[in-house]
Amino acid sequence: MTKTRTGLIRLPLVRWLTAEGSVVLVISLLWSLESRLAGYSALIGGLIFVIPSAYFAHRVFRHQGARNASLMVGDLFRAESIKLALTAVFFAAVFILMEPVHVPALLFTFAVMVAISPALRWFLRSKPQR
Amino acid sequence: MEMVMIAASIILGLGALATGIGFGLLGGKLLESTARQPEMANQLQTKTFIMAGLLDAVPMIGVGIAMYLIFVVAG
Repeated sequence: MTKTRTGLIRLPLVRWLTAEGSVVLVISLLWSLESRLAGYSALIGGLIFVIPSAYFAHRVFRHQGARNASLMVGDLFRAESIKLALTAVFFAAVFILMEPVHVPALLFTFAVMVAISPALRWFLRSKPQR
Repeated sequence: MEMVMIAASIILGLGALATGIGFGLLGGKLLESTARQPEMANQLQTKTFIMAGLLDAVPMIGVGIAMYLIFVVAG
């Protein structure tokens, strides 16, 4: 686990984002074999997951340490509410503003990212130093 | 049309309720464990973050489907 001078953990946020972005790109490329619109929609679906998720990670880890436990939990709740709201707003914006859209590619990529992202974060998490 | 809206409302409402209960339990356990072992606080926070990702997986997909129902099927 990478620690800063103050003893706080430096998160592998960049590694998480890079891994999630790579998976989104791979899925988009696979969908683009069907059509260009499907690949574009898949990319949008992945971004709808990655952007609120990056905000969530940034917000949750604003406070660290046992002294800030209540702030940590408060931030967890606020970040989750904002993440769900952002996801809903992004979906609404895509369905209203983006015409045409390949809905199966969009929802499939989003669902795949939601399913595999905790696994990615588990494998890329910071390891504690003994 | 009304049935689609009702379906979307049920998806969003139950998803929000379940997420609220789950996050309440998760946050409570995080506070409890941090009070018990303060030196583990950072590791517990990282594990809570990963569990939060698992916890909100189904409601997130529900939000996507509900928005599809509202803006594409009913719209």
